[in-house]
Amino acid sequence: MLEPVAIINIVIPILIPIFFVSFILYMIRIVKGPTIPDMVLAVDCLGFDLALLMALLTLYYRSPFLIVGALLLVLWTFILDLYIAKYLEKRELGE
Amino acid sequence: MVSVLEAIGFYIGLILAIIGAILDLIGAIGLIRFPNFFVRLHAATVASIGGAAYPLMGVGLMILCSNIFTPPIKYFVAGASISTGILTFIAASTGSHVLARAAHRSGVPVKPKVCDFLEIDKKHQEGGKE
Repeated sequence: MLEPVAIINIVIPILIPIFFVSFILYMIRIVKGPTIPDMVLAVDCLGFDLALLMALLTLYYRSPFLIVGALLLVLWTFILDLYIAKYLEKRELGE
Repeated sequence: MVSVLEAIGFYIGLILAIIGAILDLIGAIGLIRFPNFFVRLHAATVASIGGAAYPLMGVGLMILCSNIFTPPIKYFVAGASISTGILTFIAASTGSHVLARAAHRSGVPVKPKVCDFLEIDKKHQEGGKE
């Protein structure tokens, strides 16, 4: 039975390229998305997955302060959704 | 050597992370291949709940059940990771619903349209009022 540190050193370098492939697919959808909600949806998925990538890098490099950015990134993505939806519906950002 | 309970928690977290990577790839391919916005919403939900929320909880479980970090730092990182996962649950579902409502109200063109009951209802209501 392997130690947890050895398993993490093997598995995370395999997982990170899979996430990068899906980042590239999201980028294609952001660039060529026909309408604005499509682009916002792709940015949404990209933000959540970047938060996950930050957590994986925290585990891989053993530096605990990278995880603070993940929480703020999720909140920022949620705020982006709300503002774009408000703008699309009312054509203003509120006051 | 770690105890049995910690080993079980660590392997559950590892399996969640691996399943998350696969679901993320499936969601990204769906986001590229599906024809219009309202169908792409399904793929985006697979990619954000299955591909980000569950693996974040898995990473938290992995950190909590192994001895990579020393105890005070360990609880800080694991708590931040699990709370980010719970926050992703709330933010992804609410955000996609809000975006779908705004897209339908602002009249986003739906290319292969099979049926749209909300539009039919709205037209019927306006016709009945006049």
